[in-house]
Amino acid sequence: MEFDFSPVIEYLPTLLQGVGVTLLIGLAVAVMSVIGGQIVAVISLYTRKVVNWPLRFFIWLFMTTPLLLQLYFLYFGLGELILIPAIVVGILGLGFHYMAYNADIFIATIRSVSSGQYEASRSLGFGHLNTLFYVILPQAFYRALPQLSNNMIIMVKDISVLSAIGIGEMVYVSQYAISVTFRPFEFYITIAVIYYLINLMMEAGQTRIERRAAYRR
Amino acid sequence: MTQSTEPPMVELKGVKKRFGDLEVLKGIDLRVDRGKIISIIGPSGSGKSTLLRSINNLEVIDEGSILLDGVQVNRPDLKGLAFERHINHIRQNMGMVFQHFNLFPHLSTLENVTLAPRKLKGMKASNARELGMELLERVGLADKAQSYPSSLSGGQKQRVAIARALAMQPKVMLFDEATSALDPELVEEVNRVMKGLAEEHMTMLIVTHEMAFARDVSDWAMFMDGGVVVEANTPDHLFSHPDQERTQHFLRKHLGAQA
Repeated sequence: MEFDFSPVIEYLPTLLQGVGVTLLIGLAVAVMSVIGGQIVAVISLYTRKVVNWPLRFFIWLFMTTPLLLQLYFLYFGLGELILIPAIVVGILGLGFHYMAYNADIFIATIRSVSSGQYEASRSLGFGHLNTLFYVILPQAFYRALPQLSNNMIIMVKDISVLSAIGIGEMVYVSQYAISVTFRPFEFYITIAVIYYLINLMMEAGQTRIERRAAYRR
Repeated sequence: MTQSTEPPMVELKGVKKRFGDLEVLKGIDLRVDRGKIISIIGPSGSGKSTLLRSINNLEVIDEGSILLDGVQVNRPDLKGLAFERHINHIRQNMGMVFQHFNLFPHLSTLENVTLAPRKLKGMKASNARELGMELLERVGLADKAQSYPSSLSGGQKQRVAIARALAMQPKVMLFDEATSALDPELVEEVNRVMKGLAEEHMTMLIVTHEMAFARDVSDWAMFMDGGVVVEANTPDHLFSHPDQERTQHFLRKHLGAQA
């Protein structure tokens, strides 16, 4: 069998469009799941059962069911009731999924901040909320970084699942290109290399961030 | 202690505290006048740390009252947010130094010192910086302003913690075994800073195991055991000729161990 990468070059603009969509979705999901994860963690730790039990149920639900099922449910299930654009469903679905995972991390790291930190802050005159905001959460965030960035690296790969609901990310556009050119190997190899490069960049970023965070823990 | 017309800086009346069935403070009365330094000594579990923490309301007392400069600290009549506002305000007038420093590891040394004045007093960044540097200078750590706590020694951490507490310009400083977690050779640098405060007539309550330091620096010394004040006197009297047998026993054991 001979490899011929000329169709790949021909369809490069299409592929790059897919890369763009993947990166854009990745960014949106990262922002949503990190900020949302912190909010969910704080609410589930510091509020009454009436409020935090539904949230814990939410975390449990998203962590114990497959991502693909969640996406189908949101897109085709809820789609019966209300028409939501696929890209919105994709970002929300993936966002909620990783929000649950990130919340789980934040709950653990918030708990790991010693009570002495809380007392020191309160003894200076900071209230409960200010203490959370200025003292506890920043420390919990720095401690969460290694696991958080691992989650985000896995998340970027999971964006490929969104092809199932017709979102034009990398895998989806390559499927399209393959259906026209009949060169599956070349396209899959190319896509794999692009994923590898994205991962490489994320890992480099992760190392840099963690080095800066290490002495702040 | 000498009586004055001004209200005492700190006053405790009949303070009781229980942890479950265990009564750890069994009715403590104490009066600390402005600019005076009180040392509290006693065996582990005697209630001395609980007493200090109660003054800051880190432990909520069950009975009695605590006053800071004439204002009642514990307010059983206030609930929820009203008490929260009250205690946050009160605490700004009290500096507390902990055994394990409790510096904020995510902030630089200077930021540790300036966080409270900036966020609670709304001090401008430049003014806070000036104040922070002044305080770090005072504890001999101006050159560490940009360092993070993880790179400091125990003694340096505790000196920063003292500077952080001073940044709110408190009326009284509470030291809860400030040198107990330090290596012996680091104790002196912290004691020196505390002596400096004494010379500036800062009102201080010091819970300590450092008998020589307590004797040297304080105006009044208290020996606690089993949740009561067994004996209180001038440090010379308490350390040289304690009246109570329990005090004699404790000092013999402790000074013997230190010698």
